[in-house]
Amino acid sequence: MEFPQIDYVAILPEIIICGLALLIMLFAAFLPRDRRWITGHIAWFGIIVASFAVWMNWGTDTRTFAGMYSIDLFSSVLKLIFLLGSLLVVFMSENYIRLHKLEAGEYYALIIFSLFGMMMMASAADLVVFFVGLEIMSVALYVLAGFRRSDPKSNESSLKYFLLGAFATGFIVLGIAFVFGAVGTTSIAQMFDPQQYTLANSFFYLMVGGGLLLIGLAFKLASFPFHMWVPDVYEGAPTAVTAFMSSGPKAAAIAVLARVFVVAFGQHITQLSPMFWSLSVLTMFTGNLIAISQTNIKRMLAYSSIAHAGYMLIAFATGTAEAVNSVVFYLLTYTVMNLGAFMVLLVVEGKEDGDNEITSFTGLGRRHPFLGAAMTLFLISLAGIPPTAGFAGKFFLFKAAVAKGQIPLVVIAVINSLISVYYYLRVVVVMFMIDTQTEFRPVSYPAFLYVALVVAVLGTIVLGVFPTSFFPFDIPLLASGR
Amino acid sequence: MLSETASLVFWVIAFVTIISAIFVVSLRNIFHSALFLVLCLFSVAGVFVLLDAEFLAGVQVLIYVGGVAILMIFAVMLTSRMTNSEVRQQNEQKALGALVAFSFLLIVTGAILKTMSVKGGFGLSPSPSVTISTPHAIGRLLLTNFVLPFELVSVLLLVALIGAVVLAKKDGD
Amino acid sequence: MDIPLLSLMIFTPLAGMVFLMFLKQEQVKIIRYSSAAFSFIPLVLSFLMLGEYDWTTSQLQFVEKAIWIPSLSVNYSLGADGLSVPMLFLTALLSFISIVASFGISHRVKEYFAFFLLLEVGMMGVFAALDFFLFYVFWEVMLVPMYFLIGIWGGPRKIYAAIKFFLYTLFGSIFMLVGILLLYFNTEPHTLDIMELIKMGPAFGKDLQIMVWAFFFIAFAIKVPVFPFHTWLPDAHVEAPTAVSVILAGVLLKMGTYGILRISFPMLPFGTNYFSLLLAVLGVIGIIYGALVSMAQKDLKKLVAYSSVSHMGYCLLGMSVFFVGADGKAFITGLSGCVFQMFSHGLITGALFLLVGVLYDRAHTREIEAFGGLWTKIPVYGSLMTFFAMASLGLPGLSGFISEFLVFVGGFARYPVLTGIAVIGVVLTAGYMLRMVQKMFLGQFNVRWEGLTEINAREIFTIAPLAILTLAVGIYPKPLANLMAATLENIVTLVNR
Repeated sequence: MEFPQIDYVAILPEIIICGLALLIMLFAAFLPRDRRWITGHIAWFGIIVASFAVWMNWGTDTRTFAGMYSIDLFSSVLKLIFLLGSLLVVFMSENYIRLHKLEAGEYYALIIFSLFGMMMMASAADLVVFFVGLEIMSVALYVLAGFRRSDPKSNESSLKYFLLGAFATGFIVLGIAFVFGAVGTTSIAQMFDPQQYTLANSFFYLMVGGGLLLIGLAFKLASFPFHMWVPDVYEGAPTAVTAFMSSGPKAAAIAVLARVFVVAFGQHITQLSPMFWSLSVLTMFTGNLIAISQTNIKRMLAYSSIAHAGYMLIAFATGTAEAVNSVVFYLLTYTVMNLGAFMVLLVVEGKEDGDNEITSFTGLGRRHPFLGAAMTLFLISLAGIPPTAGFAGKFFLFKAAVAKGQIPLVVIAVINSLISVYYYLRVVVVMFMIDTQTEFRPVSYPAFLYVALVVAVLGTIVLGVFPTSFFPFDIPLLASGR
Repeated sequence: MLSETASLVFWVIAFVTIISAIFVVSLRNIFHSALFLVLCLFSVAGVFVLLDAEFLAGVQVLIYVGGVAILMIFAVMLTSRMTNSEVRQQNEQKALGALVAFSFLLIVTGAILKTMSVKGGFGLSPSPSVTISTPHAIGRLLLTNFVLPFELVSVLLLVALIGAVVLAKKDGD
Repeated sequence: MDIPLLSLMIFTPLAGMVFLMFLKQEQVKIIRYSSAAFSFIPLVLSFLMLGEYDWTTSQLQFVEKAIWIPSLSVNYSLGADGLSVPMLFLTALLSFISIVASFGISHRVKEYFAFFLLLEVGMMGVFAALDFFLFYVFWEVMLVPMYFLIGIWGGPRKIYAAIKFFLYTLFGSIFMLVGILLLYFNTEPHTLDIMELIKMGPAFGKDLQIMVWAFFFIAFAIKVPVFPFHTWLPDAHVEAPTAVSVILAGVLLKMGTYGILRISFPMLPFGTNYFSLLLAVLGVIGIIYGALVSMAQKDLKKLVAYSSVSHMGYCLLGMSVFFVGADGKAFITGLSGCVFQMFSHGLITGALFLLVGVLYDRAHTREIEAFGGLWTKIPVYGSLMTFFAMASLGLPGLSGFISEFLVFVGGFARYPVLTGIAVIGVVLTAGYMLRMVQKMFLGQFNVRWEGLTEINAREIFTIAPLAILTLAVGIYPKPLANLMAATLENIVTLVNR
């Protein structure tokens, strides 16, 4: 038993990100209180450097740490999505932190740690690594949700998220234990090596393990019936954190689902398909139908994120590599448009937080046409209307599903996107069509938020019009070499 | 297979585990509940010893008995109101909860029995031939093949530490 | 042709929209005139196109093709034939007219014209697209500005009407999306090129054809609107501002029938034959139902709106008759009637909505009963209204007659009984149109309208081209018939493969 070879170049992005978090903590400790905003600038700069590192490793196809850590195109693409999401969140947070007088150093450090956890999950080729990555991500998020300590809603959000999250974690550990019991390894790559185990003896055992894993991941993904926490947690958490929560963990959960259920359980995906099918349908309907009756925009976006989790699950009911590629693209589009919607929300809520009623958008389109237009773009993109990114994402996903003959599922999904149009458009109605006597109050455009908003707008349009120019649709799901 | 004596010991331990677990969730005095939790966790450590997993038994005692349970007892004792008060351990959803717990038990038992009844059982050998002691083997593994999760756990602890500080410190510190 | 004519026609309005964004909200005059100019360019280009078009062949012309999304084999591909050229011309004309007719808008002017130009982009694109993906994108792009135009500048129940319109249309188009995907996967190699798919048409399985045809039909029928799917139309029409009603009736409804003729017919020959009776039945139901409901209307705009349901029924009846005669010649009378009706209904109903708007701007009411004897007060307006009412009821010499006549001749060839029922529709149309003219313009003058002013020069300028074309097509339909003949023959041959 020798110490395993470690490919330090391949894991450079992770090293940078982990170092970045530590650096931020260090700076925060030594900077005077009123200068700690500097950590925000360190954060975005570091994220960009790490993105370059990922880009440098583009095309690397290797496994390191005794095969536990897989650096391949799949994980690189996902890491770029995480990095993009976190970058936008850091841009969004700059003003928010100043307005609400939050601890900048700890805030950014936790965001970056959470990002680190996600990157671990994306590259994990072993269930143990995935589990620890998941915990790093989650623990940081539990704290971030309660970051506004003086706000009872934020406390509630944090506690709820923590308790339920810990519960879900229990399921994941138990699931890993069962899977290990059934196949004798935690390695995703070896899991279905026929030499390693005799499947006939322990199939049921394995399925129980898989089911438990799925419960835990469904919680992180906010899928039915483990979605109850989402609206409360989203509503109570600081808005910038809500934005982060709604994109990052979902993407990480999808990455693991893909690795575990499409790669490791690959032979059994047809048996698992009905389960994903019903999960997907129930999640879509739950999210969309409840979203209709929401009056608080954060809760509406929470239910919309549940609905989107339902769309994403279509890929697993389909279970092909093509479907997984499409869902990764879907994640990219979802990250851009969803964060965009949250950016506008951040501008609109301004300092007087707490009232995030949809009516608070009244007249926004008239007084601030750019914000109104951007929000409209994000909403119609979330609803999946061309030529926006949301449409391209749905199109590729549905295409992959139809290719596998999942026509009823696609029809249901399509009906659901129709339902979703109704509540997304309600915001548009409020912004543009209700004539008010009072003008919308002036808002400030903090420079960084503005940059992020422009990035999101451009991303939503460009990904919608030229989807394949920026995204490879033929990603292998696991590094082939050792 | 276990020997006669070991088998007897197992049944005793298992009995103690289950009885104490039932007490944990049914006693009205929360302090007594916590004490029975200690007993329950101890017995689980005993099961681990029987299975030749000395390291796991040690960890079980150190972390669960020594750490978690003791912390709980501390918390109960420090909140004086709770030490002697009687609390209801049940709520209106107990029937539903029992149903879920019971069906989970059924599934797990079913999985185990189904696997056992198949000829050959697990693909793994039932008792791996261990030439060195388990702590030694685990230690080696943690520093070779499992070095990545091992290192990652330290990051996880750091994050938890930061989180605890953020949430617990006074405003303005 | 060296210049990309169709691209220019589609994207000039988009350029106009971008241009408007740089103007200030207060520069109302510049906004109005520049948007008129930007919509005038496609009109000029469409004249050029009419001049260049070679009507002797059914080949696609002005073809443009560029690779767009290679992995899906999606191309940016445009082209026009005898079916789309009249529609493109109609779109360009009505867009320009509507923009000029909207000069009276004073509320949020910049946004209004920006949305209007975007709408024109979508409409032009639908009629020129030869790639399914592109077609679908344009089809949906059009929805958003329409939604805003109704929702911001509409009448009292504008928000309800806008959302209803949006959801109805989207409901249809998502079925189209599923249908597109189904076709995509049943071709080898996978393609979304409409022309390629048409070539493969007969090779699709029968069940597939029926299913996809039904999916497409839901999308197109909602747009037309065919009888059970029509309920969005009166709401949208009544609440929409005048110019938007013109576009809705003049262009958007035609997209449905255009889609059926362009896509369902040649691509799914078995499905089309399978459902042709349904088309005829729904057409006749539409004709009679629309006319009956129109008779009961008290609101002038609602009357015109329901008359659209009736008139689009003729299109359906016309298109349901297609066969290759014993002499090997394609029978295109019914289809010609359909396309004629699409064109002339665009002119006539467009003009009727404009005229309703003219009156509403002055009187602030659309109650038919509230008027009376207006002819003495505003004779020019009265004669224009009567002219278009006559055109609408199919007076010989005007374009409506040609189309209805062709539809009936075509219809009798296959469905004599149904066509016989449909003829009743003509009588009913005459009934409500004449009653409207009589109640509004003849009889006792209502002194309440003493201060009513005559139609002004700008309004006449918007209506005159429509009147001239209505008359021209009615008297000498040959050029238009020639324009579409080769293409329609080709379509009939393709359906009967």
